[in-house]
Amino acid sequence: MSDRLHGHVLVVDDDPVNRLLLRRALEREGLTVEVAVDGGEALVALARGAGFDIVLLDIVMPVLDGFEVLARMRADPATAALPVVVISGSDSSADVVRAIGLGADDVLPKPFDPALLRARLTSGLARKRLADLEREYREQVGYVVDAAAAVERGEFEPGSLDAVAERPDALGVLARVFARMTREVAVREQRLRAQVGALRIEIDEARAARTVAAITETDYFADLQRRAAELRSGPGRQDQENR
Amino acid sequence: MTAIVSVHSFRGGTGKSNTTANVAAVFAGRGLRVGVVDLDILSPGIHVLFGVDQDGLDRHLDGFLWGRYPLRDAVREVTPPGVAGRIWLVPSSVAPHDIARVMAEGYDVGLLGDGVRALAAELELDVLLLDTHPGLNEETLLSIAMSDALAIVLRPDHQDYEGTHVTVSVARKLAVPRTVLVVNKTPESFDPAEVAARVAAAYDTPVAAVVPHSEELMVLSSGGIFVLHHPDHPVAALYGQLADQLLGSAVRA
Ligand SMILES: Nc1ncnc2c1ncn2[C@@H]1O[C@H](COP(=O)(O)OP(=O)(O)OP(=O)(O)O)[C@@H](O)[C@H]1O
Ligand SMILES: [Mg+2]
Repeated sequence: MSDRLHGHVLVVDDDPVNRLLLRRALEREGLTVEVAVDGGEALVALARGAGFDIVLLDIVMPVLDGFEVLARMRADPATAALPVVVISGSDSSADVVRAIGLGADDVLPKPFDPALLRARLTSGLARKRLADLEREYREQVGYVVDAAAAVERGEFEPGSLDAVAERPDALGVLARVFARMTREVAVREQRLRAQVGALRIEIDEARAARTVAAITETDYFADLQRRAAELRSGPGRQDQENR
Repeated sequence: MTAIVSVHSFRGGTGKSNTTANVAAVFAGRGLRVGVVDLDILSPGIHVLFGVDQDGLDRHLDGFLWGRYPLRDAVREVTPPGVAGRIWLVPSSVAPHDIARVMAEGYDVGLLGDGVRALAAELELDVLLLDTHPGLNEETLLSIAMSDALAIVLRPDHQDYEGTHVTVSVARKLAVPRTVLVVNKTPESFDPAEVAARVAAAYDTPVAAVVPHSEELMVLSSGGIFVLHHPDHPVAALYGQLADQLLGSAVRA
């Protein structure tokens, strides 16, 4: 058996036998499967955000048919890019044209050929993975852009780029450099604030004056003041008296 | 002639003794004859920086003040090897009973002034450095009154600002010819030029040096003089700059 597939599939079909056959075939390939018995249930499952990677969609169903499901999926940004393989019992080319026109990625005739189904799944899942990576990339570019704006507003959260910084690519390098630079700037700013705080030299003039008075308004001090000049021209320097 | 220089700070632990010892070494390095008196009688310590073992401190300033011997007998030469000039130190006693006696009985402050000046003449000193006790007690006031230059050491810290202001005011009243500030233990991250500008403006007094808080300086303090161990370090240049400003053109080697 060739490489197993990975992914979560939504099978939408009103026919219980078809559902069972599809589920078996898919699980044999290694996929996990959820089923919906009509278009309404399918939309509910999709709205739950269950993380589907691909949808296999029947056309003729009660409540909502496959065309309607497809149209609504493509109109909703959350599912607009989710790969859809239509499995149609009708071999009218008008139906195929309509399905593709509504945004189906592929159309398979019923009963399905397992090899063909596998090929469609493989390419659909690959497309999905690529789309996911692209979306994640765009999202993470968005984080870096947001971080720059946050720095401008002075609201940058240091850990906010950690996830992006783990990327092995150029965007990861950008995030790491950006985070390091903002850290350095933050440290510098903090030091500057500490310096400004420490150098705010505010003196209680009145209290200082009282202390000075207590020291200087004494007889001892008055005597020192009188003698200071004489003290400074002591015996050590008589040769310098007229300096 | 002898230039008398006091090194003072209002609060303790600012780095007076370190500053005094380094400036003494700078002067001696320039070939001057330098005296150092430990006027911090209540908590002496500068002898440690000159490598003097306290067990050998049998002659000291205290003994002179009690009339036991002339000050000349309390002097010891501590010139470090390879230095062009000379350094003599008058230590204070570290014996608890001596310190207790000073506290209890005091001493004749006038005798101190006469002794110091006689010593300067006898040893033909170019510079006499006085390492003082924090605060402004009588012997500190005397040392300031005798001084041709005064270095007031402060840390860039709110605890030191008001006391420094008091000291600057007192020095003005005693008409000290030359007063400079030394900002010591400055966090490495501070901008020295900014610190100097702010402090000089706040006290209307020149700042002779902004010395960083230095790990190397701290490590050396238990028996070493920074400028001798690290003559090419930027901090050594700061002490050189301070020495220049303390003497100006008064003394040349
Ligand atoms: N620039 C500096 N960087 C780091 N440590 C320093 C610096 N200057 C002084 N110190 C340290 O601070 C302590 C006090 O220094 P020093 O004894 O010179 O201060 P002092 O003002 O003479 O203190 P005291 O008031 O107790 O006499 C010492 O351990 C010394 O090593
Ligand atoms: Mg000291």
